[in-house]
Amino acid sequence: MTAPAARTAPAPPALDVRGVTVRFAGLLALDDVSFTVAPGTVHAVIGPNGAGKSTCFNVLSGLYRPTAGTVRLGAAELTRLAPHRIAALGVARTFQNIVTTQGTVADNLMLGRHALSHSGFAASALRLPRAVREQREHLAKAREIAELTGLGAHFDSPVALLSYGDRKRVELARALCLEPRVLLLDEPVAGMNAAERTRTTRVIGEIRAELGLSVVLVEHDMGLVMRLADEVTVLDFGRAIAHGTPDEVRREPEVLRAYLGTTTGEDAA
Amino acid sequence: MSDPRPHLLKRGPLLLTALLLCALPFYLDAFWLRIGLFSMAAAIGAVGLGLLSGTAGQLSLGHAFFLAVGAYGYVWLAGEPGPGLPPAVALVLAVLLAGAAGGLFSPVAGRVKGIYLGVATLALVFLGHHVLLTADSVTGGFNGRSVPPLELGGFTFAESGPELTVLGVPFGAEERLWYLGLALFAVTWFTARGLLRGRPGRALVALRDSETAASVMGVHVARYRSAAFVVSSMYAGLAGVLLALSFRRVVPDYFSLALSVDYLAMIVIGGLGSVAGATAGAVFVTALPLLMTRYADQLPLVAAPGSGDGSIGPTEASRYLYGAAIVVILLYAPDGLHGLASRTRARLRRRPPATRPGGTGPVTAGTATHATSDTTARAKEHTP
Repeated sequence: MTAPAARTAPAPPALDVRGVTVRFAGLLALDDVSFTVAPGTVHAVIGPNGAGKSTCFNVLSGLYRPTAGTVRLGAAELTRLAPHRIAALGVARTFQNIVTTQGTVADNLMLGRHALSHSGFAASALRLPRAVREQREHLAKAREIAELTGLGAHFDSPVALLSYGDRKRVELARALCLEPRVLLLDEPVAGMNAAERTRTTRVIGEIRAELGLSVVLVEHDMGLVMRLADEVTVLDFGRAIAHGTPDEVRREPEVLRAYLGTTTGEDAA
Repeated sequence: MSDPRPHLLKRGPLLLTALLLCALPFYLDAFWLRIGLFSMAAAIGAVGLGLLSGTAGQLSLGHAFFLAVGAYGYVWLAGEPGPGLPPAVALVLAVLLAGAAGGLFSPVAGRVKGIYLGVATLALVFLGHHVLLTADSVTGGFNGRSVPPLELGGFTFAESGPELTVLGVPFGAEERLWYLGLALFAVTWFTARGLLRGRPGRALVALRDSETAASVMGVHVARYRSAAFVVSSMYAGLAGVLLALSFRRVVPDYFSLALSVDYLAMIVIGGLGSVAGATAGAVFVTALPLLMTRYADQLPLVAAPGSGDGSIGPTEASRYLYGAAIVVILLYAPDGLHGLASRTRARLRRRPPATRPGGTGPVTAGTATHATSDTTARAKEHTP
């Protein structure tokens, strides 16, 4: 049983990003970026639009192959693996713009259980007892996670009928269904109203406290970052310009320049 | 997904339908049974194509090719010239053969997506047709081959067997094949729904809606695309065998591009991604030309077959009709007959408790009670 193992594991391995460079035909999206996500911490990656945050996530989840550099999760080198292999190692992510599939919340959450279940075409087609049992067990688990993320009441509703905030939470819940050791959250509260923001922030805090997983967070909402992050990496034009605790980073002159611009730094706007 | 209703109540309509279908041969003549038989065969094939195109979002124009593999595979395996295997074994092997043919194509089917796969599979139809015409020793060439009847434990699914009368009704080939068709269709229904509601089905839906999301959730994209193609080919193979048994003769010209297009029409009319929809579409597309041929003399604007006076024959007329049906369905019910039915059902169920003003779009029953702050359906967003 892989399911409880992931949960009771003492701490996830460190996620180590070393010298990652991504070049798209002349455009340098990431330039020699390095940072380490310590086990069980929340690591925020912030920066102005176009700084390379999402590119960074796409490298971590295997959607992009970097031009140079490595990403390691414990002993595994993620940069060599296909996305589904990375998922199987316990790296789950959400997307900046919601990417749910057709069907109910339950269907989406069950997709999150894909890597943890095994029933293939033949077993499902013939409805072998073990496939039926597996489906039932994972459905129960998915329902549990729906409750945890505040989606319990919508479990059997079509995703298309949910509010924006709820659909963003479906993505979060789906990622959690993978029982990840590392959770990558790409702007989890973007576009939410104040109440939804507070709720999601609380949920992320709870998840981290209860499940002890590492979280990598890309977010523009500084309130959320300051409240949740243990460590922050600031990207600007593909380069990591600052590392540190939220407080340290906030005082960094480079960061202020990147975010607010200075009289001479109009290019950063 | 989880239905609180008791088991029997849920299964009730299904059981009733099954019972009714079993009783039909006692009341219908051979003409209607033949329509039913062709419809069942088409439904099996359409379910297969629905799995590939509707659920996994992969267009295939090569369905006719896999139908041909199934049909000719059976004929060759069970017949002379050929290994002359027991027909039941030949049936199973023909299905596997169609699956293997799909598997051979999987390097393409796993990598190419959507409409591009449609173009790639187009080649299969022409290749298949050419082979059927030229490989005389196996396929019988232009004139095709006659189909050896299926025998199962001494029982023959054809006229040739010993006389059989059940409850005063003589059981000819149509009556016997009807039950074979029903059994094969039941297998299709059971397995396809198991697939769609299980882990593979969800993975395929995810692939269709967002390849990116599917892959980061752990779905092996290429493997699932290939598998969908193989499974779809196997259903096509099964449909091919049943068609061959119903026609009693296989000819190359039947397995043309037009047949592939017919199958696409079935799943579009029925509604993409559902077994019931594919079945409804298959019945519609199959039965319409046969019915119009039969009743041509009573229909306005349609000439009797073979009259050749420049007016529209029943086959053309039915093509126009289902062409029109596709247009109407794409415009007014893009989710096909199946979507139309489930919307109607939801509306009927909702009416008694409360009169909710305005349709709320495709709401399935039971969801309308959830008081969400915002219940308007929003278009799905896609990742870049």
